[in-house]
Amino acid sequence: MQCRDVEVVLEQEGLAPLPEAARAHLARCPHCQDYIADLETIVSAAHELPAEVEPPSRIWIALRAQLEREGLIKEPVTARAESASWWDGFAEFFRSRALATVTVGALLAAAAVLELHQPPEPRSVALPLPPEVVATVKQLNEQEVDVRNMRLASTSPADLVLEQNLKEIDDFIADCERHLKEAPQDEVAREYLYNAYQQKAELLAAMLDRGRSVN
Amino acid sequence: MWTRSMGRSITLVVGAAVALGSGVPALAAGQRIEKHFPVNGRPVVVIQNVANGRIEVKSSKSPEVVVVAYETSSKVGFEMEQAGDRVDVTASIVDASAQPIDLETSLQLTVPEETELQLKTENGLIYVEQVMGDMTLESIAGDIHLKEVSGYIIVKTTGGSLVCTQCAGKLDFNSVGGGAQILQPALTNVNLRTTTGNILFDGDFIRTGLYSMKSGKGLVEVRFSGSDSFDLKAQTATGTVDNQAAAFLKPDSHGTVGGRLGSKFKGLFGTFGAGLAKVELSTYSGTIRILRRD
Repeated sequence: MQCRDVEVVLEQEGLAPLPEAARAHLARCPHCQDYIADLETIVSAAHELPAEVEPPSRIWIALRAQLEREGLIKEPVTARAESASWWDGFAEFFRSRALATVTVGALLAAAAVLELHQPPEPRSVALPLPPEVVATVKQLNEQEVDVRNMRLASTSPADLVLEQNLKEIDDFIADCERHLKEAPQDEVAREYLYNAYQQKAELLAAMLDRGRSVN
Repeated sequence: MWTRSMGRSITLVVGAAVALGSGVPALAAGQRIEKHFPVNGRPVVVIQNVANGRIEVKSSKSPEVVVVAYETSSKVGFEMEQAGDRVDVTASIVDASAQPIDLETSLQLTVPEETELQLKTENGLIYVEQVMGDMTLESIAGDIHLKEVSGYIIVKTTGGSLVCTQCAGKLDFNSVGGGAQILQPALTNVNLRTTTGNILFDGDFIRTGLYSMKSGKGLVEVRFSGSDSFDLKAQTATGTVDNQAAAFLKPDSHGTVGGRLGSKFKGLFGTFGAGLAKVELSTYSGTIRILRRD
């Protein structure tokens, strides 16, 4: 047995009674003897550390709530959980402008890909958008309300341009949505609509950032 | 006594050091400042101009970055810093209650011909002339004018427009309300996208080049030359395609795409010459106009 083999045995079985071959190698190898001595010292020191304190229950509750918001776990029982989705954490993402825009972009791109891969089927009168996009749009609209409330007092030229362009984007989105209800298979309109959502997300994130830096 | 005078001296020295080293505004009200940053090779210049003013960048043969800053009030502060071949210039609002007129500042830069730029402003014009290098230019309301620049050019505005004259390389433009005019270009890759602005491309399509121009509600106008060679795809959702060069366009010679789009496709395919470049024009509700210049 070589030193490397002893290390493998230690990794797999720990310091528990070593096999005969390992013990024989250890008896004549000062390097491995030092290695074992170090390990024993570490284990001994670890045993002297105080026991781990159980975190209070509120930590687990908060952690669970956060994980649910981020969609990493789902609660299958309650009605609240059924209506909730991992999009609930979307507003949180707006705290980071880059993340917000990247998130919206990725979601819209994913939705577009899914949409393109789905076979055509009869559409209802409702806007023919995947539920993920509908949820994103809802979040964007809620965010827009917050942004508008935050920025009422601002009169700087840049802010006015942002406001004006947000209105133009909103008008454009409304136009595309109307058209898609009438012509749900129009992929050109759909592409423009998704791009408009993306631009709206970027505008809102920019306005949010400016609002924070001013306030 | 000795202790008191020494203490005062130390206070003065420390105060001066803090003032010099901690980014205290380099300018007083209504002043002009000029700074020279010697560089080796290809510098990177980063400007964050949160104020209202013009940024002008021109090139010279000299291996240095020269920054000339003007401001009209003390409510804006400039910080300039060099780290190797990177030069950072930041204008920031010192007084949050300042009115827009107090925030007027302008920057004039002279850089080596081969320089990378990252410029960001809110309102003022960004003007770049005769610079070769990748550049990212961002503005909210300010226009961006480029003349004889080359490299990978990324332009992003909210309401500002782009005028790009004799540009070469690759161009990405994205705006909500701004338009784009591309004049006499030598660009091999163009991607223009605006929601409400107009797009004008007046120049040659380089063989093997890729050109995509999209406007949600605006006019997309292309003026090509008789020596060009490109495949054209123009499509719209509710707008119109005004093809004034129908006599020169042949049916798509690489026509594998048209059938896939089905009968609801609204637009046209065509080939000019051998169809070497690829041109895609699109609008949601605006107009696509195709013209031959000569």
